[in-house]
Amino acid sequence: MAEQQQQQQQQVPLTGEQLQQVHNDGALIDFLSSLLDYTPTIPDELAEHYLSRSGFQCPDIRVTRLVSVAAQKFIGEIASDALQYCKIRQAAAVKDKKGHQQGKDKHLVLTAEDLAAALREYGVNIHQQEYFADSPIAGTAPSQKTGD
Amino acid sequence: AFGRSVAKLAVAQVCEATGFHALQQSAVETLADIALRYLGDLGKAAHSYANLSGRTQCNALDVILGIEDLGSGLAGAAETSRCVANSAALRDVMRYVEYAEEIPFARPVPHFPVFKKRAPTPSFAQLGETPPHPHIPSWLPAFPDPHTYCHTPVWNERKSDPRLDKLEQARQRRKAERSLVSLHLRLSGRGAVVKAHGSKGKGKRPAAHHPFLAPPLSAGEKEVTLVTPFRGTTELHAQNQDSHGPAALPSVLEAFAPALEAVKKGFEVVDSGSRPLKEKQQTFIAETKDRMPVSLTFDWGQKTRAKALAAKRCLAQPVSPPSNKRARGNASSWKEEEKDEKSKRAEQILAQAMEESEE
Repeated sequence: MAEQQQQQQQQVPLTGEQLQQVHNDGALIDFLSSLLDYTPTIPDELAEHYLSRSGFQCPDIRVTRLVSVAAQKFIGEIASDALQYCKIRQAAAVKDKKGHQQGKDKHLVLTAEDLAAALREYGVNIHQQEYFADSPIAGTAPSQKTGD
Repeated sequence: AFGRSVAKLAVAQVCEATGFHALQQSAVETLADIALRYLGDLGKAAHSYANLSGRTQCNALDVILGIEDLGSGLAGAAETSRCVANSAALRDVMRYVEYAEEIPFARPVPHFPVFKKRAPTPSFAQLGETPPHPHIPSWLPAFPDPHTYCHTPVWNERKSDPRLDKLEQARQRRKAERSLVSLHLRLSGRGAVVKAHGSKGKGKRPAAHHPFLAPPLSAGEKEVTLVTPFRGTTELHAQNQDSHGPAALPSVLEAFAPALEAVKKGFEVVDSGSRPLKEKQQTFIAETKDRMPVSLTFDWGQKTRAKALAAKRCLAQPVSPPSNKRARGNASSWKEEEKDEKSKRAEQILAQAMEESEE
């Protein structure tokens, strides 16, 4: 799609819309070059390994960096959502018990519960067992024994 | 597995930057798993877009389309008429790069997966061997050596000289004896008096150097030095060394040189042991902690025995609290007996060693 537009650019004098496209392409090129300065948190080797496993092949390192930056943004969004859930939980706890509880509240911990709540919005359903029992009747009242 | 742990680290760094003070392990693992799946899905989507355009290598535009595909849809759905470069998803990513602070990965990551290069087994032709059977071509890898799977006889190729062997054996025995002698001298010299071996007439230990046989010094004749931790008759030991003659290894002497010096200093202190009681009390206060009680093992007259007991009592005084005179006497006599046995044993072994070395 983009290639067709580029071909049109070469043949026909530029219209206003196409000017915008050229501008966007320029922005993209600038962005890609800026990626060379930015080191994404996900290391290049890791990204390359997992991309090659899924068939992605690109000799251009900037494209790989683009991928890792996108992944980082994705994780960052999830993390910030989980952080908000955590803060809501803390605010709810503070409402019930004030004073002593407030000192502990500044310690933010990413819990699996908050993460599960955040991921639910993304369509990822994570359910973790709260406890593990060895049999279905564990914890229930013992049935009365009949005389053997 | 390595990739997974690296991803965990990266995810943890991102979370830390977001503002979390701590993370749960299971949450980090889950998030790392999601990150890796996102990477894989993005790569798959980008690759499929590239294939759609008839290319095998992926483009930045393919990646952008992939991002749009996997996006949460908050920035608006992708429209076919829109320019890709103008996509909202790309703008989102660009905004993220601009505003989010850069967090480089904490540790250097080596290029992985690492492939271990294995040297292939050399072929028959490379080894210069002819294959044992005619149906085996020479370019195939060679068979392993027969000693790896069969029991082959082994013989000692070293030439053994019986005379040299005997000399070596004798040398080792002498070395062992010497160390044993020094050890027992040390043990016996600690507090017990070594039996006057001058009676044995070997002349290896002249009586003049014996601390308790030496004539008593008058008060103030010799200077008393402070505690010397190494007590013992290593000077005697040194004499033993010399008496061995040419067989004495210089290394043993050198090894004991510092100890010899310490003992030479210490002998002045030991000599003071023959002084009268009062001075003993003064001089021995510093050494009783190190020094074992003196015990005399040979049957001399009552006088000397009484003298020895008195000496022990004054030695035992700082060691055990002066609670009961009787207890003290008992304690000292018991210690004396113990010392007797110990020293007797030491003497026996010493005597054996002397006899052996004389051969």
